[in-house]
Amino acid sequence: MTDLFSYAIRRFGWMLLTVWAVYTVSFVLMRAVPGNPFSSERTVPPAIERQLRARYNLDAPPIEQYTDYLVGIVTRGDLGVSIRLEDYTVNEVLAEGFPVSASLAILALVFALTLGVTAGVVSAVYRGSAGDLALMGTAVLGIAIPNFVLASLAILLFVFIIPIFPAAGWGTLRQVALPALCLGAPVAAYIARLTRAGMLEVLGREHVRTAFAKGLPKSTVILKHVLPGALLPVVSYLGPATASVLTGSLVLEKIFALPGIGSHFIYAATQRDYTLAMGMVLTYTVLLFVMNSLVDLSYAVIDPRVKLQ
Amino acid sequence: MPPELRRLFVILAVVVMGIAVVWATRFDSMPPADFSIQNGTDPKTLDPHRATGQPESRILFGMFSGLLQMLPDGDPDPVSGLQPMSPQPAVAKSYEVSDDKLTYTFHLRDDAVWSDGVPITSEDFVWSWTRMLHPATACEYNFQLFSVPFAEQFSSGVVNVGDRCEVELFDRPNPDGTTEADTGELNIQNFPRGTMLYGTLREIRKPPEPELAEDVTEDDREEAMLNWQESWVFVLDIAEEDENGDIDWDGPTTRQTFTADMDSPVADEDTQRVHNVLVAFSKLGGMETPDEHTFVVNLEDPLPYFPSLAAYYPLFPVPRHVIEKHGAPMWTKAENIVSNGPYVVGLRRLRDRVRLVKNPRWFGADSVAIETIDALSTEGQNTALNMYETGQIDWVTDPPTALLETLKQRDDFYAAPMLSVYFFRINTTRKPLDDPRIRRALSMAIDRQQIVDQVAKAGQVPAYALVPPGIVGYEPPPGFKPDVDAAKQLLADAGYPGGRGIPKITLLYNTSEGHRAIAEVVQQQLQNNLNVKLELQNMEWGSFLDKTNQIDYDIARAGWIADYADPNTFLDLWLTDGPQNSTGWSSAEFDQLLKEAAAESDAEKRMQLLSQAEAIWIDEMPVIPLYFYVGINMVKPRIKGFFPSPQDLHPLHLMSIDDGSDQQTDAEVAGKPNGRDLFIADRLLSAPAPLSKLPSIIRPTAPSQLPNEKVTAR
Repeated sequence: MTDLFSYAIRRFGWMLLTVWAVYTVSFVLMRAVPGNPFSSERTVPPAIERQLRARYNLDAPPIEQYTDYLVGIVTRGDLGVSIRLEDYTVNEVLAEGFPVSASLAILALVFALTLGVTAGVVSAVYRGSAGDLALMGTAVLGIAIPNFVLASLAILLFVFIIPIFPAAGWGTLRQVALPALCLGAPVAAYIARLTRAGMLEVLGREHVRTAFAKGLPKSTVILKHVLPGALLPVVSYLGPATASVLTGSLVLEKIFALPGIGSHFIYAATQRDYTLAMGMVLTYTVLLFVMNSLVDLSYAVIDPRVKLQ
Repeated sequence: MPPELRRLFVILAVVVMGIAVVWATRFDSMPPADFSIQNGTDPKTLDPHRATGQPESRILFGMFSGLLQMLPDGDPDPVSGLQPMSPQPAVAKSYEVSDDKLTYTFHLRDDAVWSDGVPITSEDFVWSWTRMLHPATACEYNFQLFSVPFAEQFSSGVVNVGDRCEVELFDRPNPDGTTEADTGELNIQNFPRGTMLYGTLREIRKPPEPELAEDVTEDDREEAMLNWQESWVFVLDIAEEDENGDIDWDGPTTRQTFTADMDSPVADEDTQRVHNVLVAFSKLGGMETPDEHTFVVNLEDPLPYFPSLAAYYPLFPVPRHVIEKHGAPMWTKAENIVSNGPYVVGLRRLRDRVRLVKNPRWFGADSVAIETIDALSTEGQNTALNMYETGQIDWVTDPPTALLETLKQRDDFYAAPMLSVYFFRINTTRKPLDDPRIRRALSMAIDRQQIVDQVAKAGQVPAYALVPPGIVGYEPPPGFKPDVDAAKQLLADAGYPGGRGIPKITLLYNTSEGHRAIAEVVQQQLQNNLNVKLELQNMEWGSFLDKTNQIDYDIARAGWIADYADPNTFLDLWLTDGPQNSTGWSSAEFDQLLKEAAAESDAEKRMQLLSQAEAIWIDEMPVIPLYFYVGINMVKPRIKGFFPSPQDLHPLHLMSIDDGSDQQTDAEVAGKPNGRDLFIADRLLSAPAPLSKLPSIIRPTAPSQLPNEKVTAR
């Protein structure tokens, strides 16, 4: 138990360091690119631009901006006011958009896990059969087809040809189903292949042969003796899977008109919304770091061979 | 790790996953609005003084009412289908103009109130216009009031010795009840204001001007100068203010000194800290309020289009009592905002929608037919069309470019010329483009018809002049004709026969498929026709604007949408050193003509002067005009009261829903696709649609533009 805690604390320390490094690099990069948040086709007179810069503390020397903003984040959790979405603070933008993105990601991941593991188990147990071939063929397609192509096909199929889902929007389960499926599908495909490979490896082990020799029913052997071992690679893939679901949602949020945070990420960068872009980068950093740590942690818990260091 | 703990962990993981799924599938469901608009993107802000762009304007015109409003006037144009609009009474029930066209007297309605019941008075307009012009508000449309005396001086923060000035002390109230003077912390809210003093500026004490090295950048120089100006100390004779707010400028005064920078070397211990010293715009007779319901505006120039400006949202009143209570931008939150138009904001969700709800307190509420309107932030062109086809959206403002040729055949597709132009700026400070003959040659060698027919598709109107057609009373100069032979001749005259010796010219555009396609066609045409080689360069928007504003390009694309229906909005871009000029072009004659036109009270003569100015512009050709945009919209037949208009304005309160004749409405509202829509979708996906047999009220004439440019003219 103690190694668990010390591990968690060490990871937390690393996270702070990573976030700080990301903050610094983003800060420098954003101010190094040409253009500024107030660029527009209608040129702003210098006196007015100065007023605007003062409003967002952009008139201070860069070092002061760097520390002021960092202090604000650390002491008050305040990511500042969005420069382009004037009526909102960055915290408000995140508070509105994050639950949407999180819901979408959770549903996509759960869908991917359920479908992927089931398909993997089925095709491993019946390996070499037509079913195995079909499932794995689909999985290869699932990995190869980018999710925005899949989304277009899904819309064509399930919105226009068989009208069971609405075209876009947010607010009902039916509206979120299609994007979650499209987002989860490539992940499901990958998980299916991982599960199948894991299953096949464990199925050849001696303890499995022993279990069969004892006369245990097939289902018991598969569920109790094969699956736990076969799922280990899947668990370790959950970290990258989260990343893929989060980044994949940027595209799907636009196609399905979902009010998540993904699209802010792009606009903040292209419109030089320094504060919002920073807020997004930091949020994603923390999110990915936490998810990866959790995956590492659970990996150590469920696999007795892994030691936490 | 003991096996029990491992098992516990697995169970825990499953439980957490279960909870997460339950949480993720809980939704605050919201019934759809009666009428849904694809608004293109989130409005940047709901503050009329800070907004620009079309997504904001669609909402703001629904939320606020100005002195006047643009309403249909007369019959639609039989050829283009355009419905002419004119400024008509709104909050002002009537107005008079003096004979010299300089004084407008607006009589406000007695029943005009804010949506919280507070009456709207003439003082609201004085306050709102002052806020709009205040330098710290940084309203991009501030120039619309520059014909009111002292407005420009006030807005740009310039003061001279002898001016009657206002001084804002450093004691702006904070939300928590303290003031800046108590805390010493700067409050960036420019309204509510600190204590105001009024007086005549007697002297400006300036510390020595900072000496800058020769090689400092323009930005650093500007910064240093502004810092220096901040340390000036202003000496004023402060006059007395009576209880009505009138200033006794010639009465007894007290001499006081003020500065924005307390560390200024020329300040003494009596010098008071201030935010700024500005000309006392609101007290100098530009705006008068003889009584609560009379608002008088005195102009310096006889602007014939002033009523149009009064019907445009930057000049709309904003609720002083709400802004002073909540401050900006908190007053724009859905729970705080108070407005005075046909609709009020019911809900605002980022990247999703702004819901507008009918305002029962609007003076014309009886005639407002639609109860709730959703302005959806849907950006994807295909997404919006899918939602339209399945009944989730009733009005698409940005149909997919790739499908335009098919869509324009439909009855619910509206396309009409708009007051806007797509053009290429030329850097007239660089060789060889500093020679007007070369600029003309390039312009004449471009086949705009090909661009319009094959690239922009569906045929926008080719532009051979600057001002789009459709402005009443304006007789444009003849313009020029595309003529490759004449272009070759011009090139030869300029010393480059057959295009030999012309250095490579770079054409800069902001990254976009549409712009790239146009740039490629122009590149090919100039190569074939004149043997002039263009190099294409695309840049992301922010960098592109930087390059353009610094005049660091050869040729750069741009677009401009009219701010008001008058040629001046296109012509004054090119004044010498004008903020939008960005070409380095300058013509004293052109400047002079515009100046004369501004001072001319005879409308016909004024238009002639503007036309002469445009003729000079065409002769010098600092810019290559390519085509005039068209406004495109798709609106469900069940929505009545929609018509194409020259500025793409569509008043929401004139629209209504025809439920009777359309049996599928219910299904559409519920968001379910239905047979007819499916059929349409099917046609869309397969072959070009057949021309509809149904007669339409308005035929699309000039089909379409690259729609993603409509919002920002990017």
